[in-house]
Amino acid sequence: MTSSATSVSHRSAAPALAPERPVAWPKRTTRVLANGLEVVLAEARTFPRISANLYFRSGNALIAHRTPGLADMTATVVRTGTASRPSRQIEEDLRRMGASLGTHAGADSSSIAAAGLAESSAGILELIADLARNASFPEEEFERERRQRFEELRIERTTPGFLAGERFRRVLFGKHPYAVVAPTEDQVAAYTRNELVEFYRHHYVPGGSLLIVVGDFAAEAMLEKIEKIFGDWKAPQPEPPRSPEPPRQSGRRVHLVGMSGNVQTQVMVGNLAITRRDPDWYRMVLANSIYGGAFHSRLVMNIREQKGYTYSPRSGINPLRQHGYFSISAAVRNEVVAATLTEIFYEMDRMRSVAVPAEELDSARNYLTGVFSLGVATQEGLLGQLSTVYLDQLPEGYLESYRERIRALSAEDVLEAARRHFDSANAQIVVVGDREQIIDQAALFGPVTEYDASGKIVAPRPLDVMQA
Amino acid sequence: MNSSPSTSPKSAPHLHIPVEHATLANGLRVVVSPDHSAPVVTVGVYYQIGFRLEPRGRSGFAHLFEHMMFQGSENAGKMEHIRLINSSGGLLNGTTNYDITNYFESVPSNALERVLWLEADRMRALKVDDENLRNQRDVVKEEVRVNVMNQPYGGFPWLDLPPVAFRNWPNAHNFYGDFADLDAATLGDVQQFFRTYYAPNNAVLLIVGDADPAEAFAFAKRYFEGIPPGAAPPRADITEPPQTEERHGKVEERLGPLPAIAIGYTLPPRESEDWFAMGLVDRILHGGRAGRVYRKLVLEEQIAVEASGGADLIDTNGPTQMVTQIVHKPEFTSEGTVAVFDEIIEELQRKGVSPEELEPVKVKFRSDFYSMLETGMGSHMPRFGLMHYLACFTLYDGDPGRINTILDGFLGVTPERVQAAAKKYLVPQNRAVLVRRPVNLPPPVNPHVSVGNGGAR
Repeated sequence: MTSSATSVSHRSAAPALAPERPVAWPKRTTRVLANGLEVVLAEARTFPRISANLYFRSGNALIAHRTPGLADMTATVVRTGTASRPSRQIEEDLRRMGASLGTHAGADSSSIAAAGLAESSAGILELIADLARNASFPEEEFERERRQRFEELRIERTTPGFLAGERFRRVLFGKHPYAVVAPTEDQVAAYTRNELVEFYRHHYVPGGSLLIVVGDFAAEAMLEKIEKIFGDWKAPQPEPPRSPEPPRQSGRRVHLVGMSGNVQTQVMVGNLAITRRDPDWYRMVLANSIYGGAFHSRLVMNIREQKGYTYSPRSGINPLRQHGYFSISAAVRNEVVAATLTEIFYEMDRMRSVAVPAEELDSARNYLTGVFSLGVATQEGLLGQLSTVYLDQLPEGYLESYRERIRALSAEDVLEAARRHFDSANAQIVVVGDREQIIDQAALFGPVTEYDASGKIVAPRPLDVMQA
Repeated sequence: MNSSPSTSPKSAPHLHIPVEHATLANGLRVVVSPDHSAPVVTVGVYYQIGFRLEPRGRSGFAHLFEHMMFQGSENAGKMEHIRLINSSGGLLNGTTNYDITNYFESVPSNALERVLWLEADRMRALKVDDENLRNQRDVVKEEVRVNVMNQPYGGFPWLDLPPVAFRNWPNAHNFYGDFADLDAATLGDVQQFFRTYYAPNNAVLLIVGDADPAEAFAFAKRYFEGIPPGAAPPRADITEPPQTEERHGKVEERLGPLPAIAIGYTLPPRESEDWFAMGLVDRILHGGRAGRVYRKLVLEEQIAVEASGGADLIDTNGPTQMVTQIVHKPEFTSEGTVAVFDEIIEELQRKGVSPEELEPVKVKFRSDFYSMLETGMGSHMPRFGLMHYLACFTLYDGDPGRINTILDGFLGVTPERVQAAAKKYLVPQNRAVLVRRPVNLPPPVNPHVSVGNGGAR
């Protein structure tokens, strides 16, 4: 039955799009200082603020074989004191400048990021430089942050999404350092202050590092400030290490992380794929967008809008510096784990076997080019795009040509990308949830290995118990 | 954005955001704020119906209904609305809040007319069926599971605290909805709700970004003015009976390993003198790591691993609280933790705040306000925050121009007014304390903190 709120008909068709207005690229200035620090400035006078991010090309992956999470812990403690500013001073200085600060490390980089009022630009940059050059790693702050990290880890280990992601990375990357997304509690307990100081000394250096500033300023004056604040910083640049190759998968396998009593199952599926530097990158972006990377994508329409299995299904292409991976995730009710996996693979296989219809292709290209324009219209968004380009050392003109590159893609491009990088036959499957309710459903898709929340393999139980 | 600060006598910078507004013949308010710095526009339709105003006994209905607004209208069937926005290069979403439900999209500016056509179509004629309703009921249940039931600290404290803090059903019920109530919803209820609350005279349309105001108003007239107005919707009585005692509640935490505490103080009426002062009290207590609560509980005493807080000031139009949330180490008791929190409150009441502390708090307040206007939903929807505040000022205060003057109210608060507000509002008979306790938590073994007076009992 269909019900309509009004009886009067107002039939009409969607208005056509007006002619497109060009994206006005903000004025961009780049310079490499004598000490090797690469500086990128973009003027965006939307509001009287600036955002400044200093990136070091060393992250957790660099040290995962020895001390997992050490880069992260180092970044956390960096903000707690310098030779001239105790912790409290740093926080009060930030407030005085209307600024916020984040110090983080991901797999491939560490960063000191601050944003605040344009009128305090110099002070914000001086604080970033102070943290990058003179962090003092106060013993008591280190101990406090270590304990805090320990407690945060305990919370993460009760979060289904975290556990799925952690297991997925382990399976995909094997002995490669990208396999490790978080340390164990024991590893955190074993950190020493000295290890942090060593990591800081070797990796928080100007050579090969990147400073991006976006916001309300004049580039020439800003460059002068930066020369003055960062110019006399000298330190040797570290050699990039070599990592073992990730494993090749053969056949689908299921990895079940048990959490008894859970009312929902976190599902994750995927395979190793490509980085932004791969010639297939744009094709892959488009294929992913059609598959599950947008609201109007096939996966969302199928398992959410038609079947109601889940609230927030999505697929993603995750480009790390050395390797990328393709992933699909959905939190679904326990009864439909097998049904969800069936649809995930059906849609993957359809992408691999049937060319995308013209209208759908056109929609997806428009979506990507439009969302890209939205993404560079704010200071934060622009900074994010610039950091991607410069951190990954993408070709000159990547941003300016992105929309044209996407528009030039064909249905054949999408088909090729899916065939090469949607590895349906060898995809790895992670499910996190109540074992008794989901194991027989998951087992339909491949041999099952079971883990507990700490990551330990659980001895397989006899089949007859499981099916009782 | 035309927002370059000019220097006023007090050297407090003023915003000069262009705002034009009009009311159509059917009562729909239209607000346009042009900004041609990028070829994108953010559009919102805000209806003055939130989860606190939903009918009694129908918990979760306002939110379920929000989902139904994406299920099809007369000229854009199911999936068509989403497809048309995405394929125009845009992003879209909707959210249900205390006092409003909003629908919004950011698109390249060449899609403005199409977006307005779509919003008008679903304001004029929602067209959904039983299958749509069953489908979205399932989706909403998975939303509740992923955000609340299957998540450590899920729903803390936004779902946990109101039932403890408030006595009147509209303010105190389960906003996501009990599953039994969701199951009871019928298609008739959906259409009734639509007719009652989704009339043009109960809404405001916002157009923010790369749009010519004359053209934007012309589009608004063309697509919206023919939609017939409805009767003024009934207004739920959301007043709270006077509170005379401190309120307490306990909730079980099934997954997370650490105890969590939420402490809420009810705020004074919107845009009263004390309301502005409490905006500063909130930032003095909660402004990041420099805030008194984080400094004391996390950095100095090292009782908590997380301590943060905030107040929904501009966003709400009825009883609301400034809420502190604390996650503390298992060796401390929740009572002892609250006792230390109380020392922070007592100190503010006793000694007030120095101008040297208050001035930087105001600088940060201003900077955060700008940041909120520019993004407010990550960086994905340009000027989302500006659109959101314009909607609130229009619906609650009748004046979108408040966007350019509201900061003056906060920046003009004196240390004396801060102390007076702290004494008046940060009192036990104006607060609620909620403890969320892990089911498998061993008893505290090493309580370093003495349990003082004024702690939770």
